[in-house]
Amino acid sequence: MTRKSYISVVSIFLVCALLPFVLRRYQLNMLTEIIIFALYAVSYNILLGYAGLLSFGHAMFFGLGAFTAAISIIHISHLSVWSCLLIAMGATTIVGFAIGSLLLRLKGAYFALLTLAFNSLFYAVATKWHSVTGGDDGLSIKRPVVNLGFTLLKINTVTAFYYLTFVIIGLVIVFCWYFTHTAMGQTVVLMRENEDRMKFLGYDTSLSRLILFTFTGAIAGLAGAFYTLHFQFVSVSAISLDMATAVLLITFVGGTGTFWGPILGSFVYIILQNYLSDITDRWPLFMGFIFILMVLFIPGGLSKMILTAKGYLFERQEMGKAMEGENS
Amino acid sequence: MSNILVFFLHGLAYAGLLFLVSSGLTLVFGMMNVLNFAHAALYMLGAYFSYTVLNTTGQFWLSLIVCPLALFIIGAFIERFLLRRVHIFGHLHELLLTFGLAYIITETVKWLWGNYPLAVNIGGYLDGTIELFGLAYPIYRIFIFVWGVLVSLAMALILFKTRLGIILRAAVNDNEMVNALGINVPLLFTGVFAFGAALSGFAGVIAGPLLSTYPGMAQEILVDAFVVIVVGGFGSLGGALIASLLIGELQSFGVLLFPKLSLVLIYLLMSIVLVIKPSGLFGEKQ
Repeated sequence: MTRKSYISVVSIFLVCALLPFVLRRYQLNMLTEIIIFALYAVSYNILLGYAGLLSFGHAMFFGLGAFTAAISIIHISHLSVWSCLLIAMGATTIVGFAIGSLLLRLKGAYFALLTLAFNSLFYAVATKWHSVTGGDDGLSIKRPVVNLGFTLLKINTVTAFYYLTFVIIGLVIVFCWYFTHTAMGQTVVLMRENEDRMKFLGYDTSLSRLILFTFTGAIAGLAGAFYTLHFQFVSVSAISLDMATAVLLITFVGGTGTFWGPILGSFVYIILQNYLSDITDRWPLFMGFIFILMVLFIPGGLSKMILTAKGYLFERQEMGKAMEGENS
Repeated sequence: MSNILVFFLHGLAYAGLLFLVSSGLTLVFGMMNVLNFAHAALYMLGAYFSYTVLNTTGQFWLSLIVCPLALFIIGAFIERFLLRRVHIFGHLHELLLTFGLAYIITETVKWLWGNYPLAVNIGGYLDGTIELFGLAYPIYRIFIFVWGVLVSLAMALILFKTRLGIILRAAVNDNEMVNALGINVPLLFTGVFAFGAALSGFAGVIAGPLLSTYPGMAQEILVDAFVVIVVGGFGSLGGALIASLLIGELQSFGVLLFPKLSLVLIYLLMSIVLVIKPSGLFGEKQ
């Protein structure tokens, strides 16, 4: 990481910390949602952008995390936020490992198809298991109190919850970034490029892929838990196919080539969704057209566009560097 | 006893429909290596076209001819002007493109026809019942199964008894070689994709009166058709036929025997097949 990117990360943190003083309530709410979906998309991008695994089933982890959080808050009295988040991540880790060891036997389009089928299975179970998940009615919860050790923090105000979300998810996103730079994260990228060679070099590629799949599942589960806490409500839509494809849209619009692309995508997607749905009921149609146009003309997403534009505006050399660093 | 027969026939009808949908999907996949996410959306489009044709003319047989033709043209258009453009970027982009198309088609359908179920009435003798082993059974469900059988026979005849079939089977194996031998493979691809679209449109017309026409019908059949392909083996028509029968009957008897678990049963079957044979019952080893 260069000094420049340290500065930009620190300044983003500072700006986000000051934003509650500037923004209005609904804007702050929207920003919280953006941060949650950014984490969801970052975890998805590690799967799609880094490992090259196209999944139509990421919502099963997001939804599982969301439902686990809601169910644990309802059934365990005086549950702290920390345990709630840990339970959600634990559940998604276990399920991710089990599902992953089954699904990762196949690759490419086959894998994509299977993730879709399993997501449908989870959706079917969530809809039918009315006594636990509330079925179509969903579950309502109250946000628990946060125990900071020295003091209790109430997170029922928009601002307090924003700070909690932004600090924890911010740290987790930084951790994800760190993860992509570890030997493990790099192995996955190299596997995407040439798996045979990695096998030949003695790497257990199936195991690496399984660990990665489980990791991204757990992170998506955490995002799901925050989703429940944010809306104080969870319904089967959290585990639906629409939720699984939304993250694909977000990631693709932001660009899969960079780590920060999906975060940008989350900003664009949530803000577009909010404003387009104010103007027209047909906003999904617009999103669909935007998506198709991007697939046809800007397959690298917005982040690629920005990098290219930067290259034209500044020096040619810098573009070369940016392209090199794209996947690192 | 008669109960079991009724559920068996129900299963056959659904199997016929499933085969009509999944055969086109598996054909396109086997030939072009494109997993067509828009396939079910085209099926839905067929159902809605048929609804409109029926509402204006009242001729079911007419819509059975016109709608697949319309879908054939749409399919050819999609392949020629959209899919071919992203072909160089690889399978992931082709898949994403069809996914985007499915999204747009679903939203357009909601926009033009409304986000609610539409009842389709075909009228005439197809709407009636028939005496079968002493019980009155709806003719229409038998009609669906018969179509499934006819289409599978026709496809088998084309694939194994004609020159076109030889070219198609060769192209599945190695389309570059076939191209080098002087066959216009890009044209063949357009034809296959358009044929797949027409087939799904045909299935949509047939499904309309049975399942009613609504914007969620695409997603519902899409998942079932995918399960059929996984179980039967990717790209295998014979596998799709067997798997359609299996899933159709499982759905039908699942509702009878385990009403609460019926939705989960087919996924259970899929998981079992995957554990034992990841490439599907009739799939070649990858």
